[in-house]
Amino acid sequence: MKLANKLGSGLLALLMAMPVVHAAEDELVVYSGRSDKFVKPVIKAFTEATGIKVVLHSAKSTALLNKLRVEGERTEADLYLSNDAGNLQLGSEMGLFLPLPVKVTDVIDARLRAPDNSWVGLSARARVLVANTASDSGFVESVFDLADPRLKDKIAVTHSGNGSFIAGVTVYMLAEGSDKTRSWLKGVKENSGGKTFNKHSKVVKAVASGKKAVGLVNHYYIYRHLDAHPDAPIRVIVPDQGEGGMGVAWNVAGIAVSKYSKKSETAVRFVEFLVSEKGQKQFAEVNREYPARKGVAAVSVIPPADSIRAATVAMAELGKHRNATIDLLEAVGMP
Amino acid sequence: MVLKRFSFLSSVTGVVVLMAAIPLFFVVYSSFQLSSERWYGLWDTRLPDLMGNTLWLALIVALGCFILGVSSAWLIARRTFAGRTLAIWLMVLPLAIPTYVFAYIYTSMLADDGWLGKLWVTLFGSGVGIPDIYTGWGAGFILSLAGFSYVFLLVRTSLTGASLSMEEAARLHGATPLEVFMRVQLPLLRPALAAGLAVVTLHVLSDFGAVSMLQYQTFTLSIYMQMEGRLDNQGAAGLSLVLVMLSLTFLVLERFFRSRQRYFSNSRSRRFQPRRATGGELVMIWCWLGLIALFAFILPLVWVLHWSWQAWSADLIGSEFWGYTYNSLMLGVIAASATVVVGLPVALYHSRVRSWLSACYLHLSSIGFVLPGPVVALGVITFVLAQLPLLYGGLVVLLMALMVRFMPLAVQSQEAAMQQLTPSIEQAGRVLGAGPLENLWRVTLPMIRGGVITAWVLVFIDVIKELPATLILRPIGYDTLPVRIWIEASEEMLELAAPAALMLIVGTLPALWIMMRAEGRR
Repeated sequence: MKLANKLGSGLLALLMAMPVVHAAEDELVVYSGRSDKFVKPVIKAFTEATGIKVVLHSAKSTALLNKLRVEGERTEADLYLSNDAGNLQLGSEMGLFLPLPVKVTDVIDARLRAPDNSWVGLSARARVLVANTASDSGFVESVFDLADPRLKDKIAVTHSGNGSFIAGVTVYMLAEGSDKTRSWLKGVKENSGGKTFNKHSKVVKAVASGKKAVGLVNHYYIYRHLDAHPDAPIRVIVPDQGEGGMGVAWNVAGIAVSKYSKKSETAVRFVEFLVSEKGQKQFAEVNREYPARKGVAAVSVIPPADSIRAATVAMAELGKHRNATIDLLEAVGMP
Repeated sequence: MVLKRFSFLSSVTGVVVLMAAIPLFFVVYSSFQLSSERWYGLWDTRLPDLMGNTLWLALIVALGCFILGVSSAWLIARRTFAGRTLAIWLMVLPLAIPTYVFAYIYTSMLADDGWLGKLWVTLFGSGVGIPDIYTGWGAGFILSLAGFSYVFLLVRTSLTGASLSMEEAARLHGATPLEVFMRVQLPLLRPALAAGLAVVTLHVLSDFGAVSMLQYQTFTLSIYMQMEGRLDNQGAAGLSLVLVMLSLTFLVLERFFRSRQRYFSNSRSRRFQPRRATGGELVMIWCWLGLIALFAFILPLVWVLHWSWQAWSADLIGSEFWGYTYNSLMLGVIAASATVVVGLPVALYHSRVRSWLSACYLHLSSIGFVLPGPVVALGVITFVLAQLPLLYGGLVVLLMALMVRFMPLAVQSQEAAMQQLTPSIEQAGRVLGAGPLENLWRVTLPMIRGGVITAWVLVFIDVIKELPATLILRPIGYDTLPVRIWIEASEEMLELAAPAALMLIVGTLPALWIMMRAEGRR
C-alpha cells in the first residue's frame, strides 16, 4: 500500500511539475522542415533586431504540412518553412496559407514564389552533377546522360523517396515530357544497378572515392564535402546548359504564413526580415544556396547565379505534379 | 454484488478500450472512403511485394531472436560461471538502444570509411564487397540485435522455473542431451517462446526506425511514404488496415497455439540447480555470449561514446541538450505511469471474466501495438480535434497516442501477474469487509507489484525510444532525445546525434535495473 501511495503521489507531483509548453503571446511558432542549424542563425538575428522570440518546431516538411492540414484552425503554427517548393504549393492549394503583401514578395524573382503570393521562396538550389575527375565522364553534360550505357554501374543517385529527387524528376518531366523521362528513369535504374543511396552526402562520397563516376545532387552537398576534403578529386557539372538544353532544375526553400495564425502581422514581419537583403544573405549563406531576392549575391565559391541557365518550370508546378511524378517513379519501379 | 462490481469494472474497461481503438476506427473509416479502383491500384502496385517483404523480415527476425535469445538464456540458466551477472546484463542492455540508432550506427560503421568497413577491407582486401546492410538480411540483423532480449528474458525465467523431473525421466530412458533439449525442454519452453517471439514480431511489424534508415520496403515504410510523400492519408489507412488484419491473424494464431499447450508442474518437484561450468565450457560460453554482446551492445556503445567524446571536446553540447534529456525522461515517466494505470482495468477484467467480450477487449487493446506510430498519431490527432478540441495543444495528445501505442505491454505483464493470484486471497479481503476499491488497493495491487513494475519498465523503455508519433505530436518546441537524434541524423551530424543516443541509453539503465531486481526476487 505504501508503494502504491508513493507511486500515486509521485505521479501527481510530476504532473504538477510538468512544464506547460505553450507559445507565449509574443512568440512566433515556425513549423520548419529545414535543418535547424541553417535556420537558427537567422532567427537569432531577427530576435536581436526586433525582440520577438521565435520557437522552431522541426520535423519533416511533409509531415508538418500534413499536421497543418489536419489541425486546421486549431494549429499553433504561425509560419510554415519548407525546403521544397512542392510542399509549399500543395499547402497553398489546400488553402492553408495567408497571402503575403505584395510589397514583401515583389523583391523575389517571380518564378521563385507562388503566383498568388501565398508563399515566397527564400533560397534556391541547383540540381547538378558531381563527377570524379579521374573517370571517363568527359562526355556528360546533361542529366539525361546518366542513362547512357557507357555509365553502366557508374552512377550514384539517392533513392526515389527523396524529396529533392522527386522535385528534380518533376522538372525533367515538365520540361521534356513524360515519355522521355520514363525511358530516362529506366536507364538510370539500369545504370545504378538497382542500388541507390539514402543520403546525398553518400552520393558525393561514392563519387569522390572513385566507386562511382557521376552523381546527381543538390549543389551544396558538393561544397560540404570539399570543406572536409579540400583535395577530393571531384568536379561540378552544371548540366543541360547547351543550345536547346532544358537548363538546370531548381528548387527553393520557402516560407508561408499560416491562415489560422493569430499573430499574422508579426509573422509577416518575420517574412519581411527574411526577404530583406541582410536576411537573404544570412539565410542562403549558411547552406551556400542562392538568395531568392534579386540582386543579392551568393557566396563566391559557387558558380554565380547569372552564369547558370535555369529550367523555365515555375516552382509552383512542383506541387501540382508531384503525385504524377511519384506515379511515374512507381511505374518504372525506381528503388 | 459481484455482478455490480464487474459491471463497474466492465464499463471502465470499455472506456479504456474505446480509447485504445481510436486509431482502428480512424483506419477503418478512412479505408471505407477509398474507392475500389484505388484499392485495386494499391493491390496492383504494392501489396504483394509489401506482404512478402514484411513477412520475410518477420521470419528472419523471429529466427534470429530465437537463436540469440534461446542459446544465451539456456547457457545462463543452466550453468554458473564467472561473470554470470555481467552476462545477464549484457543480454538485456540492447533494449536500451532504439532500432533507428542501431541502424544508424551500423550503416555508418559498414561504410567504406567506417570502423567495420575498414576492418573488412584489411581482412579480405578491397576485392570482396563489404556486406550490404540495405537489404532484408541487413534489416533482419539489426532488428534481431534490437529484439532478442525479450526472448532471452522470457525464456530464462521459464528455464529457471522449470522442474527437473521430466528431464531426468528422459535422461533415464537414454536420451542424449540434444534429444532432451529438442524433445523435452523446447516443448516446455513453448509458451515463453511464443510470448517472446510475439513481442518481437509485433515490434518488427510496426518498426519504422530501422526500415526507414535502411530503405527496406515494409508496410510501415510504405504507409509512411503514402502519408508523407503523397499526403494521401486514405491510402495510408488502407495499407494500415491490411497490416492490422495481418497482425491480428498472427495474434490469434499465437493465442491458439499457446492455449493448446499447457504444462503444469507440481510445486514440490525439485527446481533445477545450475551446474558449475567446466573450464572448456567457460571459454565457449563467453566466446558465444561475448560475440552476441559485442554486436548487440559493446560495439554500438563504444561508437556512441567515441562520437559523444568528439562532441564534448568540440564543445557542441549546449544547455539545450540537458533540456532534451529532461523532456525525454519526464515524458517516459508520465506516459509509463499513465499507461500502467489505464491498462490495469483491462488486465483485471480479462483475468476475472472470461467471455467473448473480455477477449474482444483484450484484442482491441492491442491495436496500438500493431499499427505504425504515424498512423496512431494521425488517428489520435484527428479524433481529438473532432471530438475534444479543448484538449488540443500541450502534452495530452502525445500522451494519449503513447498510451494507445504501448498499452498491450502494460496489459500483458499485469495480467500475467494476476493469473498467478489465487482468488481466495481477494475473497478473504472481501469477507473481512474491504470494499472493491480498498480490496484492489490493499490486497490485489501489493500482490501483483512485480507485474506492475515490469509493465511500467517495459512501457517506459519503449516510450523514451519512440520516434514517429513523438515527432508528429510533441508540443511546440518540446524536443526529446529521439527527436534530436532524428534531426541531427538526417543532417549526418554524427557528433550531435551520438550524445543524445548516449543519454537515451543512460536514461534507460535505472529502469532496467528496477526490472532486473524485481526479476531476481521472484
